[in-house]
Amino acid sequence: MVCIRKATIDDLLAMQACNLFCLPENYQMKYYFYHILSWPQLLYVAEDYGGKIVGYVLAKMEEESTECHGHITSLAVLRTHRKLGLATKLMAAAQNAMEQVFGAEYVSLHVRKSNRAAFNLYTETLGYKIHDMEAKYYADGEDAYDMRKQLKGKNQHQHQHHHHHHHHGGGCCSGEAKAE
Amino acid sequence: MGASLPPKEANLFKLIVKSYETKQYKKGLKAADAILKKFPDHGETLSMKGLTLNCMDRKPEAYELVRLGLKNDLKSHVCWHVYGLLYRSDREYREAIKCYRNALRIDPDNIEILRDLSLLQAQMRDLAGFVETRQQLLTLKPNHRMNWIGFAVSHHLNSNASKAIDILEAYEGTLEDDYPPDNERCEHGEMLLYKISLLEECGSLEKALQELRKKEFKIVDKLSYKEEEVSLLVKLNRLEEGEKLYRVLLAMNPDNYGYYEGLQKCVGLHSKIGQYSPDEIDQLDALYKSLGQQYTWSSAVKRIPLDFLEDVKFRDAADNYIRPLLTKGVPSLFSDLSPLYDHPGKADILEKLLLDLEESLKTTGGYPGRSEKEPPSTLLWTLFYLAQHYDRRGLYDIALAKIDEAMQHTPTVIDLYSVKSKILKHGGDFVAAAALADEARCMDLADRYVNSQCVKRMLQADQVPLAEKTAVLFTKDGDQHNNLHDMQCMWLVYELASGESYFRQGDLGRSLKKFLAVEKHYADITEDQFDFHSYCLRKMTLRAYIEMLRFQDRLHAHTYFRKAAVGAIRCYIKLYDSPSKSSTEEDDELAKLPASQKKKLRQKQRKAEARAKKEAEVKNEEANVGGVSKSGKRNVKPVDPDPHGEKLLQTEDPLMEAGKYLKLLQKHSSDFLETHLLSFEVNMRKQKILLALQALKQLQRLDAGNPDSHRCLVLVPIIPIQDRTLRFFHKVASRPAPTTDGEKLISGVLEAERLTFSQLQGKSLVEANTVFLEQHKAADLHLDKYVHLKEAVLVVYADSLMHRAAVAEMIFCLEPNKKGEAIKLIEESSNNLVSSNGTVREWKLKDCVTVHKLLVSSFDDQDAALRWKTRCADYFPYSTYFEGRHCSANRDSKQTHAENGSVEVPPSNGKVEKLDALKNLAI
Repeated sequence: MVCIRKATIDDLLAMQACNLFCLPENYQMKYYFYHILSWPQLLYVAEDYGGKIVGYVLAKMEEESTECHGHITSLAVLRTHRKLGLATKLMAAAQNAMEQVFGAEYVSLHVRKSNRAAFNLYTETLGYKIHDMEAKYYADGEDAYDMRKQLKGKNQHQHQHHHHHHHHGGGCCSGEAKAE
Repeated sequence: MGASLPPKEANLFKLIVKSYETKQYKKGLKAADAILKKFPDHGETLSMKGLTLNCMDRKPEAYELVRLGLKNDLKSHVCWHVYGLLYRSDREYREAIKCYRNALRIDPDNIEILRDLSLLQAQMRDLAGFVETRQQLLTLKPNHRMNWIGFAVSHHLNSNASKAIDILEAYEGTLEDDYPPDNERCEHGEMLLYKISLLEECGSLEKALQELRKKEFKIVDKLSYKEEEVSLLVKLNRLEEGEKLYRVLLAMNPDNYGYYEGLQKCVGLHSKIGQYSPDEIDQLDALYKSLGQQYTWSSAVKRIPLDFLEDVKFRDAADNYIRPLLTKGVPSLFSDLSPLYDHPGKADILEKLLLDLEESLKTTGGYPGRSEKEPPSTLLWTLFYLAQHYDRRGLYDIALAKIDEAMQHTPTVIDLYSVKSKILKHGGDFVAAAALADEARCMDLADRYVNSQCVKRMLQADQVPLAEKTAVLFTKDGDQHNNLHDMQCMWLVYELASGESYFRQGDLGRSLKKFLAVEKHYADITEDQFDFHSYCLRKMTLRAYIEMLRFQDRLHAHTYFRKAAVGAIRCYIKLYDSPSKSSTEEDDELAKLPASQKKKLRQKQRKAEARAKKEAEVKNEEANVGGVSKSGKRNVKPVDPDPHGEKLLQTEDPLMEAGKYLKLLQKHSSDFLETHLLSFEVNMRKQKILLALQALKQLQRLDAGNPDSHRCLVLVPIIPIQDRTLRFFHKVASRPAPTTDGEKLISGVLEAERLTFSQLQGKSLVEANTVFLEQHKAADLHLDKYVHLKEAVLVVYADSLMHRAAVAEMIFCLEPNKKGEAIKLIEESSNNLVSSNGTVREWKLKDCVTVHKLLVSSFDDQDAALRWKTRCADYFPYSTYFEGRHCSANRDSKQTHAENGSVEVPPSNGKVEKLDALKNLAI
């Protein structure tokens, strides 16, 4: 029904349009560029049979903090494409990449207190837990739950491939790149 | 820097620079003033003070100081560098590059300036210069990773991928064996993948695969690794290995259609156009059955076979596919299956299938052949599907009956209202469609999707103020104009749709304003790439970076931009054809004056404009008081001095303005008919005969092409081309005989070119027009014999109505005395049945509206227009335009006048007027 694949640069405009159409939190194009040019592995789209983008996940790595972790910046699925499990599939894809490529210890996200549907998806289907509550997180004054889900992380990360060289999953927290 | 100063001041100077870098502008300003107190003419200090003020939004002062500084110290690379930075901040990159070059003449090895220059060169795609600068940087600092990578990237961009590979390998040679350390594994892996993609680009496939496998343990991103590997295997025709790998990828993500396609290619079962022999269909069927057992979770594996299966097998597979989704209540089921409707046989099978399900659910409460009962919602979703099915087939009566039945069944499902709104829109009742969408919106005020959908419908119904009020409900600061614009809200719903709506309503100023706003977003997106030229070299996301640059290079080919540019050009053409009353009067007055006074008046006007501009600036300043942040930078948005686009209408040369956007279209959208149609219109008005001819030739080129290459054009391209061609040569023929050499030259070219238009060979224009008509009449009767224009495929579906209309217009244009004959030609068209079940007619509402407008405007025949309207009202009972018997405007004869919204309705006298429409309809 709907194809789940990594996003390319060409998808960004459609992702922005999808975001504007269904979510109150919006971002300028540059923020989408920032994501895909920093962590190209963490953006996924849901594309329908006619090539229309009907959902996406926009995610990033938090590189400043001590514990390397991922963060879901934005997740959206068009109302017309509910009940297909797209959000779950998109989230699973992004979480896998965080784990596999960056060795993330956990993944975090914010959700509106009033958004029961999303809250249920995160807790019941995807295994997130409330970590904290952030008062007046949203521009309109609504509170957010700060939610987290534990991932395998660097040390417990299982390699899918067996070869002679032992190595870690990549490190995301490389700190500031060297100045010239 | 600051070398000529005594120690105390030299330190202060360092402080200015540091403050600038850390954005502590007030501090920097203080230090600068301290130096200037003692050395008021110190060039570099003046420059730095200017640069600091620039960051505090005091632009005019900034330029003044920077220029003064430079004048006082022309030999200072600092002053030139600062001047460059100032230009850069105003996006004047060409000027900035000049300044940097001057700075480098004084200080050729200045790393900072070289780096800044390289960024501008990348931004401006001065690729040869970019290579040169990156080479200098590498030579000066070979121990920096970024300089190696930058040099390689510059060669790649400059179309020398193999040189880029050499550089990356040389760089790898400088690394220790145990490189990279843990914290640089991602970056290094990305660099390796970049290098392999370069090898692939150069066609060194074997080497790329070897290198990939050799470096596998260093590549962290395993998914990219596999995708690269499989792409190379397929290109190397190593299909068995490719097949295995695709199966691995599918196990990781069984919802990626690309992997299925790849797998099909590897096992030799792939057709681009989706046509397979019966034997192949059996093999594919078996393949997907086995995949289906492996990936039970995948929906793709169940959906794809519907594309290739036929007849009974298709029916059974569709039945199996549809049932659980109806039970589950998946709202997108119809949209998922709608591509199958391009295959008429499949649409018929689906119709029968769904009707059988409906019948069974109604009589037994379960699916046919099943004893278990279905939940009541299954019938609801079946009706929901059928409504969309009949909508798609153009049978709006039945579609509405089905959706109404569903709404009676369960009145609380929002999706039903959205679909009913869509059906009404297709039927031509935009007002009722907007009202329904509003009902859906009110059912869940927290859902932005239904809000956006509603805004879109309101704009289609030309209810712009109401649409704005509705959209504002979801913007944070309550000031939706700025907010939607800031968020680059270029979804068709907003800026484009309101631009188009204003255009329909004849409000050219507001319309232009919206179209130009979209254009501005594209300029901003182009600008966005700037920061990433250095960022990506550090981050090493080189594959994504290169893709981003290529994306930027074709950005203006994007649909939204094209639509906005087309909209703006149409506005300018209309503005040129019918300048606003005030400016014509003004021109008349101007014309009466002698030249010297005219000049004076113009100067006066210019001064008044400058004053107004200044006032707006002052107003901005006032509005910004209190909005000054710690750094001294003002954050408040400027007041728009021209919110309704009135100033835009005062342009002296609308065709020149149109030309700007036309150029972008010609560069980026040359395969779109519309581009050349507009080019023709603009150049005919400019009397640029040869450019108009060029546009005609481009149109011919598109026409002659393979139908596949411009299938996106949908409408038969021949009509407008024929139309323009005849009009062009007609007009040219009526020109006075050439007198000057230039004119003679032009007419010589025209004579020669005329012969290249095959349809004009050896015929008069009138004859050519008749031949065109005959061809298309013939097309109606003997489709198979229709070969002349190579467009058989398109023509079969094309309305002969539109061909007739084009021909009629041309007859009238060439021989005005044959008006009656021309109109008769249109009126004799018949609206034939097209569907196999004998209910759908071929005419499209949109085309009939076009014909009506043609009768009203070009032919100026109100009687004929009225006859046409009455006839079409019958074909399109839901159309508000034709006032069909079912449309909302007719049903509620007592109209409630709403504050907002109007809809274009042609009243009986044939003149297009505005009619207040109703907001809350009882549907």
